[in-house]
Amino acid sequence: MMIERKKLAETVGESNLYDDEATLEAYSRDMSFANPTRPRFVVKPHTATEVKELVKLARETNTPLVPVSSGAPHFRGDTVPSTGGAVVVDLSEMKKIVFVDRARRVAMVEPGVTFGELIPVAREEGIRLNMPLLPRSTKSVVGSMLEREPVVMPSYQWDVSDPLACLEVVFGTGDDFRTGQAAGPGTVEEQWAVGGRQKAPYGPHVAAWHRLVQGAQGTMGIVTWASLRCELLPQVQEAFLVGSARLGPLLEMARWLIRLRLVNECFVLSGLDLAAVSAQARPGHLQRLRSALPAWTLFYVVAGYEYFPEERVAVNIKDISALGQRLGLEPVPALGGISARELMKTVQQPSGEPYWKLRYKGGCEDVLFLAPFDRLEVLTELVARLALEDGLTVGEYGVYIQPTVQGTSCHCEFNFFYDPDDAQDVLRVKRLVAAAVRSLLDAGAFFSRPYGEAAGIVMNRDAASLDILRRLKKIFDPAAVMNPGKLCF
Amino acid sequence: MALDKEIYAAFAGVVGEENICDDPALMPAYFFTDFAAVVLPKSTAEVQAVVRLCNQFRLQFRPICTGWTGFFRPGTVLLDLRRMDQIVEINEKNMYAVVEPYVTSAQLQAELFKRGLCTNLKGAGAQCSAMLRGHGHLDQSMGADDRNHLAVEWVTPDGELVRLGSLGSVGEWFSGDGPGPSLRSLISSVVPPSCTPGVFTKVAMKLYHWPGPTRYSLTGYSPRYLLAEKPPNMMARYYSFPTLDQMWQAEIKIGEAEIALELMGFNVAMVAANITTSNEEDEAMFKRLSQEVQGPGFFVIIAGNSPDDFAYKKKVLETIIAENEGMSLKSVEDPEIEGILLTQCTRISASVRETFRPGGNFKSIPIMGQRDLTIRWAVGAGQAKLPLIEQGLIADDGGGFFGWGVEHGHLGKTEIFCKFSPLNPEARKAVDAWAEQQSNRALEEKYFALTMGPPEQIDSKVGPALSNYHLWWYKVLATLDPNEVIPDKGVSKLHP
Amino acid sequence: MALEEYAGDMSMCCRCSACKFVPLQQVKGFKHANVCPSISRYNFHFYSGGGRLNLGYAGLKNGFQYVPRYLDVLYNCQLCGACDVSCKYGMDMEVLRPIQEMRIKAVEDGHPHPALETVVSRMRATGSMVPVAGRKRGDWAEGLGLRNALEEKVEILYHVGCLTSFDPERQKVARATARVLDRAGVSFGVLGEAETCCGGRAYEMGHQADFLAQAAKSKELVEKTGVKTLVTSCATCYQVYKVLYDRFGLKDELEVLHITQLLERLLGEGRLKPSRGQEITVTYHDPCHLGRLGEPWIHWQGKKIPGDRFVFDPPKPYRRGTHGVYEPPRRVLAALPGVRLVEMDRIKEYAWCGGSCGGVIDSNPEFAEWTAAERLAEATCTGAEAIVTASPWSEKLFAQVLAKNGGDLAVYDIVELVDQAV
Repeated sequence: MMIERKKLAETVGESNLYDDEATLEAYSRDMSFANPTRPRFVVKPHTATEVKELVKLARETNTPLVPVSSGAPHFRGDTVPSTGGAVVVDLSEMKKIVFVDRARRVAMVEPGVTFGELIPVAREEGIRLNMPLLPRSTKSVVGSMLEREPVVMPSYQWDVSDPLACLEVVFGTGDDFRTGQAAGPGTVEEQWAVGGRQKAPYGPHVAAWHRLVQGAQGTMGIVTWASLRCELLPQVQEAFLVGSARLGPLLEMARWLIRLRLVNECFVLSGLDLAAVSAQARPGHLQRLRSALPAWTLFYVVAGYEYFPEERVAVNIKDISALGQRLGLEPVPALGGISARELMKTVQQPSGEPYWKLRYKGGCEDVLFLAPFDRLEVLTELVARLALEDGLTVGEYGVYIQPTVQGTSCHCEFNFFYDPDDAQDVLRVKRLVAAAVRSLLDAGAFFSRPYGEAAGIVMNRDAASLDILRRLKKIFDPAAVMNPGKLCF
Repeated sequence: MALDKEIYAAFAGVVGEENICDDPALMPAYFFTDFAAVVLPKSTAEVQAVVRLCNQFRLQFRPICTGWTGFFRPGTVLLDLRRMDQIVEINEKNMYAVVEPYVTSAQLQAELFKRGLCTNLKGAGAQCSAMLRGHGHLDQSMGADDRNHLAVEWVTPDGELVRLGSLGSVGEWFSGDGPGPSLRSLISSVVPPSCTPGVFTKVAMKLYHWPGPTRYSLTGYSPRYLLAEKPPNMMARYYSFPTLDQMWQAEIKIGEAEIALELMGFNVAMVAANITTSNEEDEAMFKRLSQEVQGPGFFVIIAGNSPDDFAYKKKVLETIIAENEGMSLKSVEDPEIEGILLTQCTRISASVRETFRPGGNFKSIPIMGQRDLTIRWAVGAGQAKLPLIEQGLIADDGGGFFGWGVEHGHLGKTEIFCKFSPLNPEARKAVDAWAEQQSNRALEEKYFALTMGPPEQIDSKVGPALSNYHLWWYKVLATLDPNEVIPDKGVSKLHP
Repeated sequence: MALEEYAGDMSMCCRCSACKFVPLQQVKGFKHANVCPSISRYNFHFYSGGGRLNLGYAGLKNGFQYVPRYLDVLYNCQLCGACDVSCKYGMDMEVLRPIQEMRIKAVEDGHPHPALETVVSRMRATGSMVPVAGRKRGDWAEGLGLRNALEEKVEILYHVGCLTSFDPERQKVARATARVLDRAGVSFGVLGEAETCCGGRAYEMGHQADFLAQAAKSKELVEKTGVKTLVTSCATCYQVYKVLYDRFGLKDELEVLHITQLLERLLGEGRLKPSRGQEITVTYHDPCHLGRLGEPWIHWQGKKIPGDRFVFDPPKPYRRGTHGVYEPPRRVLAALPGVRLVEMDRIKEYAWCGGSCGGVIDSNPEFAEWTAAERLAEATCTGAEAIVTASPWSEKLFAQVLAKNGGDLAVYDIVELVDQAV
């Protein structure tokens, strides 16, 4: 049984229902190596009520639903249907910025809202988002948070679920549910009436329900809005770069910068990634930048807020200078033709076009995981060996290391760039990615957000957790209609 | 109600004869509850085996760590985790410590200070388990609730061993979430504690930088230890304000400026309790401080990583206080009292002085979340205490409540309690009625809802008001606990 | 006061568990955070101060059930008072008093510990807490030419105590004490054969009536000498004469000094001039009876003020361990050339018990030895070569455990070191 076209049209309106070849084809694949599978329909609901109705219909008819929030290009395969006959629920038309509240440092948005759309509205109020590194311009804010993407200001990431606050979800049962403070009492509107803003993430009760929806790749339900904690806009900011041929000292410095809460944005990029991030769209610029950059660069921003901002910045810079001396590192305002200030402006916005990961070769496949600070050198060396075995030198792939959760671990991302039109190149990256995942797993890399084929290997390593997740799935999506085939479901 | 012989032998076979007791004569020692038995497992494997036996014999169980207050059904098997008392790891590079349930915060904090690190002490006191969720003096700069937990080792209600996050995948403790959806969703949220499902046998706690000394140098004897020398780059002050709104404005500005190691919205009754060593002293000090303050206030500790950092923070603090017409309490500027507060708040959290010393009992309504919202509710709840104070049923704290910003004001905590004598049934009745009225008001007026009520209240009122979370919870619990060994469907009262 | 009179105190226990640990400000690391030997050894909450109070409170309400496990709990406690100190850091309530009363009540209800009953019977028969074994109480003084305080007028009576008098290994402390006092020119005498037990250990064993009977005998003897000052080298005897007799109205105006207090005085006055001694690093064990339990008794009577607070009229002053004898022994050690003192983690009012108090050494020697072994391990952590104490009971037990378990620590009574130095 399938959802009837008529029912879908009744639910979202004919104009928001797509089954034309071009659209179905577009949603059948992404930039990843996921097998293309064409959906039966694509729908673009505008309201939570419509979403709820869609899930009910899907459940009644056992029709797979694939939720999508961000616009193309997608990179992880999570929005490509794993089974035939699916309906893609594209939430990109749900574009309401419900509120931005400066006093409570929180905003609420629908899933179609992109970073590019929310940033200026938040800025207007005096606050900003703790963003992932250069999200593509079509990236949904809610989507990013649901994926637990790392954020560039680790000092403000108290918990791995940050900046997600509360959310409203329609579970696979068709029931809607609100998490954290938003759960109640009353509707969100009634809460607003007494001054409530949906920010506290925990509860109700001993459960932290938002954590169940996060990282689920749409397999538990469809989120119809989410709130997120925001940070103050600094009054003064100074950005720095620290270059090094060795990763270890930079990580040590990053660790202390975060531990002492001296900086906001803080991450490490390999030469190629820094070049890709900074490159302008003119021929040869990326290559020129790369050739002038050290193997590794630490980037950070020191900021001052309302009270004596210059003094705060000066004090922190002085303390950082002492730290740098201890580690034999020298922070500079520009490095290899890259200005720290320009880089700061760049990373406080979504990526320009083309998306930074596509600038080098047109394609990119990521291997991403979490690891402790003191494991990263070993893991990067391991990948370097594997790459070299396949003829790829260190400088030919990118590495992005993002300290997370106030310095308790790091997100590490290998960006294997490839030319989509070069079959050999594609094959090599495919091979390399598969080999890297296996080797990294064995060496202690934690793939907390596994996508695609790697998901199976990763999820199967922990049978006890897998068992519970599957039991939970039966509760929240008993008919298994929510994005089936993803993760372990 | 002792166990039957076969069951007793099965438990004893796991933990050894010397670590089980089912003698009814001894049970009153534990919470005055007629437990079926108390067992003392030593390891995760023993916890699993005990839990499996509970499933086999359909016996309900509850675990305790250091076990402060609690309400337990008669006939429950109590797992007293006292013998699981090891610090498994202090990872300085990745800022976490892995502890078993009976490691106290006092122990962990002492070890952390030596390494320039710090854990957020819970308000319950440093004699309590270091793995607790909860709130405390350092919430302002060190987070609270479940947000300081990383990986968790968890024995589920049916006795399975689940190792969350990186622990399950790669055997390390740095992350508790994933792969995929986080199982921390089920076991870890806010206080107050209800029945969390199963037993946490090891938890990785996130740590923070400690800018203070590796150890406080103390002089004197109990109960009055004094700081021999004030540590450099640290300062403690209490500020009062003409109005609650000015206090709130100052609190939020301090949060936004990220200058405070601690911001604790004590009322002066709580300051008085902390710095005094007896009820009589406390009463006199409360009167003295009440004369000194101009209105509501809070206690602040600032600490610098360097002399310049400290000077900057101090300047900002003084500016914010002046802008909001705050006034520093002279008594707290006394270096002796300042020293007492510095050490107590970062090292021990002497909450029994604030709560139990006056009358022997207290009843509290703690609320986590949006601070400005809960303050507004608490004003009314405080006023509702005044008649009880006038009737002499509860200790006089001026109708005070307390609370503070968490994570530099991103989140918050507000709490209000009545201190009374457990020997006075009239007082208990009045306090229970006050608590019920005020929590009902919170729910009806849409401020918040307490989820620690008795099951019937959760089912009829609280659950339906909160997205029917209880129905989902019951489904989750049913799958984790097929033999119903978790009492009260996993919801229970904090106090009997 | 009978147990009933502590019902209010017992109801105040909030089960916070502070009674299990040293006062929290004094927790110095992962190790040595515990303060109560009983809960540390046996783990069930009913072995802790708070758990005992809960049992007492329930017993008053529902009747006491003297089942074997309850008696095991009751007698496996050194009554060292550490729980009392730690609780009273935060609370206003009695802890040790009701625990002691529970034991007295058990004896009165016909449930004495058999081993302790034997000890008390011996005291009744011989006036000694320890086996006499054909020896005489004054044998240790043979050849020293000491004055008998019953026969000659002296300023100070040196009360030796049962263990120091009769135990051949401990008699050296009595002899050293006599030598030191002699060198300082102190006018002192002893009771010789006539000395009798202070009775205090019987009280701790729960035998209050026997204690009072024995105390009367001892008091009578001391009065006969006409001295105004009694000094003893036994921490237990010190606590009994100083505190317990005072509590029961038996002390009158007698000045009671522990030998360390007198030595401190003599050193201060220049009457003792330590000039020689071994280079040695030592750690000092505060005997419970000299330390926290040695805090003077406070006579108080009052009534609870009705209402919300556990407060009294007149205000009740609590003994919180603040005023024990902590500094005199340390000052004496500091005055000895070559002696360097390093402190253990648990000292003074929150010292870990040496193991021998409360009758445990007789009722459960294994537990007593375990407790002492914990203390010796703590002492070893300091790097000290020797553990010094001021109680023959601790010294004996430490030596016994070291002999059994091995270890490089030497054990001294503080008077021995002074004797060597002067």
